[in-house]
Amino acid sequence: MRILNFAKRNFKEIIRDPLSIIFSVLLPLFLLFIFKQINIPNESYELQNFTPGIVVFGFSFITLFTAMLVSKDRTSSLLIRLGISPMKPIEYILGYMLSIIPLILIQNLLFFILAIVLGLSFSINIIWAILISIVIAILFITIGIILGSLFSEKASSGISSIVIQLVCFTSGMYFPRELLGDVFSKICEYLPFESCVTIIKGIMNANLESITIRNIVVFSIYTILALVISIVVFKKKMISDNK
Amino acid sequence: MLAIETNKLTKKFKEKTAVNEINLKINEGELFALLGTNGAGKTTTIKMLSTLILPTEGEIKILGLDIVKDRQKIKEILNVSPQETAIAPNLSVKENLEFMAGVYQIPKKEEKIDELVKLFKLEEVLKQKAKTLSGGWQRKVSIAIALINDPKILFLDEPTLGLDVIARKELWNVIEKLKGKITIILTTHYMEEAESLSDRIGIMAKGNLVDVGTAEELIKRADTKNFEDAFVKIATGGEL
Repeated sequence: MRILNFAKRNFKEIIRDPLSIIFSVLLPLFLLFIFKQINIPNESYELQNFTPGIVVFGFSFITLFTAMLVSKDRTSSLLIRLGISPMKPIEYILGYMLSIIPLILIQNLLFFILAIVLGLSFSINIIWAILISIVIAILFITIGIILGSLFSEKASSGISSIVIQLVCFTSGMYFPRELLGDVFSKICEYLPFESCVTIIKGIMNANLESITIRNIVVFSIYTILALVISIVVFKKKMISDNK
Repeated sequence: MLAIETNKLTKKFKEKTAVNEINLKINEGELFALLGTNGAGKTTTIKMLSTLILPTEGEIKILGLDIVKDRQKIKEILNVSPQETAIAPNLSVKENLEFMAGVYQIPKKEEKIDELVKLFKLEEVLKQKAKTLSGGWQRKVSIAIALINDPKILFLDEPTLGLDVIARKELWNVIEKLKGKITIILTTHYMEEAESLSDRIGIMAKGNLVDVGTAEELIKRADTKNFEDAFVKIATGGEL
């Protein structure tokens, strides 16, 4: 119940400060629209390939957004009050996550609606892709919690933009990683972003064979690690902030 | 029964000793003021007593419960109004109260909120976003929120800092109403606030609790004409 209560408060804070929401939804929508209009003769930009990339690109803004929310909370005395209350670190983390899930759903719905308007064929697999993307989003939310716990509001927004750039360059959304050479391609394999895009793409296109064991293992390891680190770092910072 | 008892309470931050072997006894229902110059260790003491940070050495008993072993139980029976106003800025006053009632899992939360609204006369700002309130209103709301779980012990960390005279007097009235019903530990820089509100006063200097007593006792012991002079003499060890 405490988790839901905290999530409700976070959600209200988020929707009443809508600039970040607009940014995290409108920019990916604009990119999806504009790249379709340019009609680049490359299969990366076909809707069935590019839409999953846009979904993950949208999630990188969720990292930015979560980092700012957490760092803002840290700098206010509200967390002192909550630190004295019976709330536990896991309740904060789950509360932050739950509050951001509606935003993820809004993002996904708008991305897929636009993709369908632009010519993507609707299938039940889109619903599955939306559901699985909520699981994928956990990674991006927890990275945001880690950054927001470690850095100030200004610094965390700057550092989160690195995640946005990493998603652009290493997820394969704009170009196949093989184009970047062997070393860089290998690095992309062991970063989680390409796996995130591949998993959503595989489910959306009913092409499960394209999702490799490596994709699942890499994504799972990063997500579990990020979740554990977020709890530890948040707890530690909450104590040290109050010294 | 003692509300708070500390035994050689110490907090060190690396080499710096912020609080040094404090022995403190505060009775149930007492309003105890902690006075001290900047950096005297008041806020660190409050943070340790309110479970926010752990002591480096020493013991704390809150209503007989141990601060380390019974931490979760203690969290249910105390609350704090921190130095900076601790409210959710984009929530209304009512939503702030509801949020904290949810944090403490208050069973009849509407009744409790109504009671606090009446006590603090919050009716006119109830629907207003917290960030749009004046400093005085924000402090009032902050203290109201701190009472949401009917705490047995309430910590008020410089509750009137930066407020104008009228807002300060209003808050004093609120604190007066709470006096005797719960144990209140108040930190302040204002001598007249400590003198007029508190039952007893503890004076801290450089991490040490240098004297404890009623305002009259401290004036008498320092052999001064008024409380401000007594405080200066005690806090500086008679150097000023």
